[in-house]
Amino acid sequence: MKIICAVAGVAVKELYRRKEFYVLLIVTILICLVMGSVNVFNDDKVIRYLKELALLLIWISTLIIAITTTARQIPAEKEQRTLLPLLAKPLSRNQLIVGKFLGCWVACGLALICFYIFFGALAASREHAWPLLNYFQAALLHWFALGVVVALALFGSLVFAAPSSNSTICFVIVATILCLGRYLDAVALAQSEPIRSIFYAIYFAIPHLEIPFGMRNLIVHNWPLVEWKFIALDAIYLLAYIALFLAAACLVFRRKPVN
Amino acid sequence: MNTILKTEKLRVEFKTRQLGKATTKVALNGLDLAVQAGEVFGFLGPNGAGKTTTMNVLLGFIQPTGGAAYLFGIDVRQPIARQRIGYLPELTYYYKFLNAEEILRFYAKIFKIPNAEAEKRIDFVLKLVELQHARKRLIKTYSKGMQQRVGLAQALINNPDLLILDEPTSGLDPVGRMKVRSIIQRLKNEGRTVFFSSHEMGEVETICDRIAIINNGELKAVGSVSEISSQHGANLEKAFLDIIGFQPEAVA
Amino acid sequence: MFGFPPQTRELKMISPRKISLLFIALLIFCFGLAANLLPQFWRIENENHQSQNFFALLLGDSSRIFANSFATKADAYYHSGYYPTIFDNNSAFKTLHMAEDTGAVASHNSGEEENFMGPPRDWIDAFGRHFIPNRHTHLDEGGPTDDLSKSDEVREILPWLKLSAELDPHNIQTILATSFFLRTKMNKTSDAEEVLREALRSNPDNSQLLFELGRIRFENYADTFRARNIWEAALRELQKQIVQKKEDKLDFDDRFMFEQLETKLAQLEEYAHNNGPAISHWEAVKIVSPTPEEIQKHIDELKQKTAATNSPAQ
Repeated sequence: MKIICAVAGVAVKELYRRKEFYVLLIVTILICLVMGSVNVFNDDKVIRYLKELALLLIWISTLIIAITTTARQIPAEKEQRTLLPLLAKPLSRNQLIVGKFLGCWVACGLALICFYIFFGALAASREHAWPLLNYFQAALLHWFALGVVVALALFGSLVFAAPSSNSTICFVIVATILCLGRYLDAVALAQSEPIRSIFYAIYFAIPHLEIPFGMRNLIVHNWPLVEWKFIALDAIYLLAYIALFLAAACLVFRRKPVN
Repeated sequence: MNTILKTEKLRVEFKTRQLGKATTKVALNGLDLAVQAGEVFGFLGPNGAGKTTTMNVLLGFIQPTGGAAYLFGIDVRQPIARQRIGYLPELTYYYKFLNAEEILRFYAKIFKIPNAEAEKRIDFVLKLVELQHARKRLIKTYSKGMQQRVGLAQALINNPDLLILDEPTSGLDPVGRMKVRSIIQRLKNEGRTVFFSSHEMGEVETICDRIAIINNGELKAVGSVSEISSQHGANLEKAFLDIIGFQPEAVA
Repeated sequence: MFGFPPQTRELKMISPRKISLLFIALLIFCFGLAANLLPQFWRIENENHQSQNFFALLLGDSSRIFANSFATKADAYYHSGYYPTIFDNNSAFKTLHMAEDTGAVASHNSGEEENFMGPPRDWIDAFGRHFIPNRHTHLDEGGPTDDLSKSDEVREILPWLKLSAELDPHNIQTILATSFFLRTKMNKTSDAEEVLREALRSNPDNSQLLFELGRIRFENYADTFRARNIWEAALRELQKQIVQKKEDKLDFDDRFMFEQLETKLAQLEEYAHNNGPAISHWEAVKIVSPTPEEIQKHIDELKQKTAATNSPAQ
């Protein structure tokens, strides 16, 4: 575990020593502040549009962080030849994959905390309330969803040679799931065979990231807490996909030449 | 004597496609090597002879097609075989967003060195490679020579019994080469085993106890510098050219 | 083995000098383009006085699509996110509920409001429904908390309505909803009136806008004189529209508007103790009302009341 944590630590350091996170955080804050300055019939309590915008920007920013940070991990190690001295140490390839995943996931979690603190402050500035448990539920599932994205990007980085192509493919897959994942079965119903079966297969195979993504609406419109058992079940569901992608990544990386 | 590094009938094939046709390139063909504890072993060969491939197999970067390789009697496919080795690749690049101290701390953690001991080792190796003054500077600000010395420092962080160095002085200026060479000399004096590849015959003659020469993936000669030189009745460079079958007239 | 790529990459990097030159060239191009386009921009602006909004001008005809989308967004906010998508059965949401609630727009809705998603299609769908708004509520009735004291939270729909109205000043539903909620839930009567007056500049003599404006004068200022004038003007406009359509029967929307206007005028006259004109307005309502018996009963009551007030004098 110490080895995995050491590898993870480097990935975390990489995140906060690079500019992407700060740029995305500042851009999110600036856009929200500009949009918040819009005068809506001199009413200074209007907040939900701002909450929705902030949450959307947070999702986009964290997806960018998760995918770009993860996609370059192994290819950059290969290109800059840092992988060779690393693998020359008593470190198995599986440990490297798990360490890289954990690092990127924790880094995303840290970024997420910063973003959600801003979000909480933004909402509280007009609502004068801190529904912390609601935010915690949303952030927790958001983090698990990012875990799936990180694992997917890590797997992709071993399959596709160029980080850019991996990032693009990951973005397309994730965006499609977020926008259409929930309705693929409805689309399948409207098709004839064999397309229907193909759509159904895709529907049941993909990780349904739109479930945590959909929680934005509950936060924006101040809905009551989701039952904790459902939160736990969704976390387990997402964890299963994380494990699946990590196992696939380990399998691909196991016999891959690294020089 | 205790054999620290051993290869048995090591064979590596690379499958490539040329003009849509699958071809197989034999990079190593039945390589048998044995490096004893405490010796400095030079691994020589022209470009493409299979030196780096051998090192890649020893370090577990690639899987051999046939044969076996052992470090300290442990199959190289097991990560634990690399617990007591230090490795310096031919071209060293390290995490640019870290400083030397952080890189060494990271590698120390991989070796599971306790924190207090790790700090002592970091101080020691940084002093050894003369980088103490720059320990807090990010790697991206380092010169090539400094980066190579960080490479040496990371290879020594676990106080290894075996050092595997892949052309450690290539691309360095004369001062940088001299510094790296003196470090290897010092390690030799400390009784460590060093396995290194080089094109610098002078360097090999000065430092190595024994050398092996390979060409086209096959071992052509092995022995001490003096043995090989005397067998061919010439200095090491001429002996080397003779062994690999180089014809100066052909070039002329 | 030879590790050339990183060095090659560095060599290929564009020099800062080239970047600066490129940047300057880009700036010159941008300024040139702006200088060339500015007169055209002014021309377009002068030709189309109604397109004052920069975004509306920028988006052209597509601004109407965006305006509709923002109006739908406002209605989704009105339901605290409980809203159908194109994949759901949205027959219960064809007319924006928030606009319907103003009383100036006829409802075209049918179908199930509470269960537009239908039964869960599979376990993922069933599970996913725990993480989305899953109850039909209206913000002006307290939203998900059902707390009526929070009915002013309906303010949250205003940014989208404002944006929608700016992009498409002809979207009457949006304007009516904005004005209605400003007036009834936010106590911003002057803002509500301003919204309607602004909209009337783009849609002069629109009967729905006039109807809502009359309500402000009557319900908030008890200004029966101006309210009557506005509603009568609205009625005239509606009749003009009906005549222009040259149809044998009143269509659903016109019938609804006619009923609303006549009802309001009848109520106004009753309030002003002008029972005679009130009765004639109620008679007009009776023609189009789905419950003429009820109206007739009210007319009879009114007639009796009038007779009772007149008889002591005799």
